[in-house]
Amino acid sequence: MKRYLLYFLLIVAAFSACKKEDDPIFDKSPDERLNETLAKYQQAMVNAPYGWKLLVYPSGVPNSVFSFYCRFNDANRVTMFSDFDAATSVELKESSYRLKALQQPALLFDTYSYIHLLCDPDGSVNGGAYGLGLSSDFEFSLDGIAGDSILLTGRLHNSKAYMVKATQQEQEAYTSLQRNRAFENIARFLTYFKRITVSGTQYEIKANIYAHTITFSWKDANGSTQEVQVGFYYTPTGIALSPAFTDGATTIASLDGIAWNQNTQTLKGNAGSSSFTISGFARPLSVDSTAAQRWWQQGLDQEYWVSLYGFHVNGVEDAYQVTTLPDYYFMGYWPKFGTSGGSPYDLLGFVTQTGDQQPALSYGPAFNPAFKTDGRVTFTYLGDLGTYPPETAPIAKTISKLIDANGFYLVQTGPKRYDMVSARDGKAWITWER
Amino acid sequence: MKPVKILLLCLSLAFLAACSKDDDLGNIEDIPGLGGDTWAKSPLDQWLYDTLTKPYNIAVKYKWDQFEFELGKTLVPPKEEKVIPVMSAIKQVWINTYIAEAGEIFFKQYSPKFFILSGSASWNANGTITLGTAEGGRKVVLYLLNEFRTKNMPGYEPRDSATVKQMFHVIEHEFGHILHQNVMYPQEYRRITAGLYTGNWNNISDYEARRDGFVTAYAMSGYDDDFVEMISIMLTEGRGGFDVIVNSIPPGASINGTSQADAQARLRKKEAMVVDYFKTVWKIDFYSLQSRTRKEIVKLLY
Repeated sequence: MKRYLLYFLLIVAAFSACKKEDDPIFDKSPDERLNETLAKYQQAMVNAPYGWKLLVYPSGVPNSVFSFYCRFNDANRVTMFSDFDAATSVELKESSYRLKALQQPALLFDTYSYIHLLCDPDGSVNGGAYGLGLSSDFEFSLDGIAGDSILLTGRLHNSKAYMVKATQQEQEAYTSLQRNRAFENIARFLTYFKRITVSGTQYEIKANIYAHTITFSWKDANGSTQEVQVGFYYTPTGIALSPAFTDGATTIASLDGIAWNQNTQTLKGNAGSSSFTISGFARPLSVDSTAAQRWWQQGLDQEYWVSLYGFHVNGVEDAYQVTTLPDYYFMGYWPKFGTSGGSPYDLLGFVTQTGDQQPALSYGPAFNPAFKTDGRVTFTYLGDLGTYPPETAPIAKTISKLIDANGFYLVQTGPKRYDMVSARDGKAWITWER
Repeated sequence: MKPVKILLLCLSLAFLAACSKDDDLGNIEDIPGLGGDTWAKSPLDQWLYDTLTKPYNIAVKYKWDQFEFELGKTLVPPKEEKVIPVMSAIKQVWINTYIAEAGEIFFKQYSPKFFILSGSASWNANGTITLGTAEGGRKVVLYLLNEFRTKNMPGYEPRDSATVKQMFHVIEHEFGHILHQNVMYPQEYRRITAGLYTGNWNNISDYEARRDGFVTAYAMSGYDDDFVEMISIMLTEGRGGFDVIVNSIPPGASINGTSQADAQARLRKKEAMVVDYFKTVWKIDFYSLQSRTRKEIVKLLY
């Protein structure tokens, strides 16, 4: 018993002997440091003499980027321009912001501004999903100041963003409403395929002016096809790519002084120190030779393909007006729909929906596809199924386009999405999706 | 042994007592965010303070605060230019009319004290949208402010009236809850459409609900909601509008076997009980309140 007491006292002595000072690693309390951090950001934001360029990368759209020009004052007010659309790029919008200590120091754009257009859960505002928008953010945690930049991360959707101090020249360009949105004319090319030529090198480009992305594709030295997607945003003189497009010695960081010529169907301007030209082409730079068969097989596996608007021809959406057919719901392509005389045939079926009834496959022409070794597909007209409505012009025009002997190229634009482009002149195409 | 033990005893006592246990908290006078958010006051803040906070002790939060909403929902803050039109419409339609009928003391005592504003609607997983919620008789969340347009505002279309009416519907509904949570309505009310309340109300249309004697589908979710939906619809639609609803019930029996006459009689019975409740409990002439409320709504929309 006595010995236990001895041990007990020894243990008490050992444990109580240690130093009990609570030595903080930091020389100031968390609150003091938080206040200092918020004050540091606030000062940096307010004191930038020419305002800030803000780039936001919405997390819901891969590679997409939107730009803003902002000025913050010390009364929680911010004024901005945005490259979201033509109107927001020239109308100055004032709203409020504040810095707040959340889990991290955070920058909140706390009343509606152009930043929120990307976040709006009403999909009709930004073309995003209902309930999500583009999965962008307006509450950002402040991740650090690096040189002239402030790094931001969205708190809800994790969108990346950063602010860069604008130069005097940039400020003057923004405030004097100098804008160049001529790149938007990329949507007015009559041909499906477009190529940019920079210092003698050609790249096929596909731009999505709503998502702010450009896809470059080309054949490398080994003859294999390369594809890179980058985001773009509008600058006072044209567009800038983010990140810059690089292929060996060729780097395209921005396209400036862009001008559109409707007659020659070209976009011209400067890419850095050299000039560039974007023009339309009838055929792809690099043909995806198995795309047509993949499209047909996938259609068979999933039963059918859907096209909502039919053919786009010479710049006209739904050129044959299939949507005007009575009770039109969609046009579908059924590979191996049935057999006739022992041989299978495909069906271009028209699905209608009357009143509150279930949609039904009503009528359509039958075809035989033939796949060429160069990647094209041609269609042979076999006959009709069902009873056509009295006005058959939309169907007849669609048939005559489809049996064009030049055939079509297939371009895969998504896991369940193909564009079928006329090989005659590249000026007619139809989108198949599920 | 003994000296060692005594020495140890002394030592351990000394060690225990000796060291400093100070835990310096640093400067705790200035904790960021303690006491709520602060920002430079704008004329809008001043307007809200003068119009609602000072006279009625009602706070309006229009600047974004995620924690006032369902976390994880994608929402956006309201446009600043929408705040004054919305809040002055609420003052005209709801505050002024109740004060005119029941007096300022009554209103100050029972009104919800906290309005939270969202610019967009709140999208639900099933594709529906929520346009208003309330908590604990204190906090009311209003959505879709950015689409708020009355007939005097540019771009007004007749369909915008649905958004505006929905906003008043939410407020009158929540205020109804506060009233019956203070003084309960007669138990008899619960027996009018007994057995027809259902948790499946969201799959039932208002049209079907009315054939069973409910004013809206949401009224089928429970007695209390039934009661306040009656208050809310009767106030926002007006007496004429409510008559239209009652008369719109078609002949024949509902899915649950309620005849046209029964459904109409039930709605009339509920109407009478609501009017009586306001009269006996709150000394309010409901029909007079109704015509005032409807008149203000008509002024805004038609």
